[in-house]
Amino acid sequence: MPPSDQPSARALAPEVRVVKYGDCALLIDGLTPGVAAALREVVLRRLHNDAVRVVDVVPAATSLTVMHEPADGDVVRHHALAALDDSLAFDAERGVTVEIPVRYDGEDLPVVATTLGCSVAEVIQLHSNAVYVVEFCGFAPGFAYLGGLDQRLHLPRRTSPRTRVPAGAVAIASTYSAVYPRESPGGWHLLGTTTMTLWDATRDQPARLQPGMRVRFRAMS
Amino acid sequence: MTTPHLVVERVGFTTVQDAGRPGWAHLGVPRSGAVDHASFALANRLLGNEPTSALFETSGGLRVRLHAPTTVVLTGADAEAFVDDRPLAACRPQRITEGVVLRVERMRTGVRSYLGFAGGLSGEPVLGSLSHDTLSKLVPIGLSDGATVELRTTPERGAGASVAPIGLDAPLHPAALTHALLSPGPHQAWFDPEVLSADRARWTVTAQSDRVAVRLSGHAVPRRLAGEVPSLALVRGAVQVPPSGELIVMLADHPTTGGYPVIGVMNPDDVNRLAQTPPDAAVQIQLRRKS
Repeated sequence: MPPSDQPSARALAPEVRVVKYGDCALLIDGLTPGVAAALREVVLRRLHNDAVRVVDVVPAATSLTVMHEPADGDVVRHHALAALDDSLAFDAERGVTVEIPVRYDGEDLPVVATTLGCSVAEVIQLHSNAVYVVEFCGFAPGFAYLGGLDQRLHLPRRTSPRTRVPAGAVAIASTYSAVYPRESPGGWHLLGTTTMTLWDATRDQPARLQPGMRVRFRAMS
Repeated sequence: MTTPHLVVERVGFTTVQDAGRPGWAHLGVPRSGAVDHASFALANRLLGNEPTSALFETSGGLRVRLHAPTTVVLTGADAEAFVDDRPLAACRPQRITEGVVLRVERMRTGVRSYLGFAGGLSGEPVLGSLSHDTLSKLVPIGLSDGATVELRTTPERGAGASVAPIGLDAPLHPAALTHALLSPGPHQAWFDPEVLSADRARWTVTAQSDRVAVRLSGHAVPRRLAGEVPSLALVRGAVQVPPSGELIVMLADHPTTGGYPVIGVMNPDDVNRLAQTPPDAAVQIQLRRKS
């Protein structure tokens, strides 16, 4: 049972709005960053209990999108509005903290340190001391946006994105940290690498990091 | 090889598609699947297949040799298509014998044809689907010249024209989109209310269109607000406006989230038609105001 002392999404974000997003989706917008993943669980549970078939429920930075069959628009809206007032329960999965071993050997480490006016050791310390939460996924399968980055590390993206970032690259940009799950182009600042597999489509749970999970980075010598 | 199969002698512009990967968007996996839902569904209905059976989505240049007797059907864009050297008529399931060569050459009108087989194509699904997701590079059945693709054989369950479920007035080929009225998107406040009004409704499909999105050029769409929108989930038909002022309409392989403002959403039937509208075609786009 969810603990009753958890706040509701509406209590955290009084200006939240619920709007139609085309014929097949509902957008719950104006959420406090980090709340969307927890609200997703509440909405899913409500719709499941009412046997409403939902297609996808997708958290993002400050919103949650519920994709549904066109005929289910009204019932989805009803549950979305009610879910905003439910307590944001944390299930067992969300209690999990994933520890990611990192070798801090990223190409951008010296530039980041210079830009911030501190030492490389301080950048590593700031990055590995924080506790992160998977706010949402996007960009590529298994790419998790990790909220909780120390404010001192907030930087805009690189002006010119790299055409190739290796799988396992640990990076920061804006208010987020992330690990590139596969080789891809990318514009984030590379701080290090991990050997942990973040994405494996053959597994039942293909993504190691899922919305709502907690994450820590552990510096490897 | 004893299992029923075909050999792709020439891939051309072809991918394997089914109904895609619903249920994984929260992990960053696009829906993918056939771009023109209507033509895809029609192919499987005409064959008596499961509605999610995999088939070929092609924009031409496809040549396959059948190594089993089967029933095939071609839907979608009007294409020059042949069974050996005889024309393959659209929307008409046809029983063919082993060793026959099927070709889908050039599109006469439209962009995508769907070549389906009784029972559907067979393979090892990735996240429950055989669809080739061009954005995420999920490719359960990689096509290359000479590739072998297995066919699922089902009982002769209704395959054939006798069960054609379309009405007599149904068009053989999907029409191009000429006019679309968008429903309001989440970021209307970012744009002038007169944007996409009657006198600024003319847009042109650009060649930078693919399975991910159709790009429309026309007018610069200025923004009233500065800055960025927080990343939000994208849906099929969502119309993004990047700083360049183009309209980007999301198709099957669209990214799961995006950071450009969404001015409106195109309805599903219009997205099907847009997916069959070739580059340089003119489209009227208007925005329904919030009442």
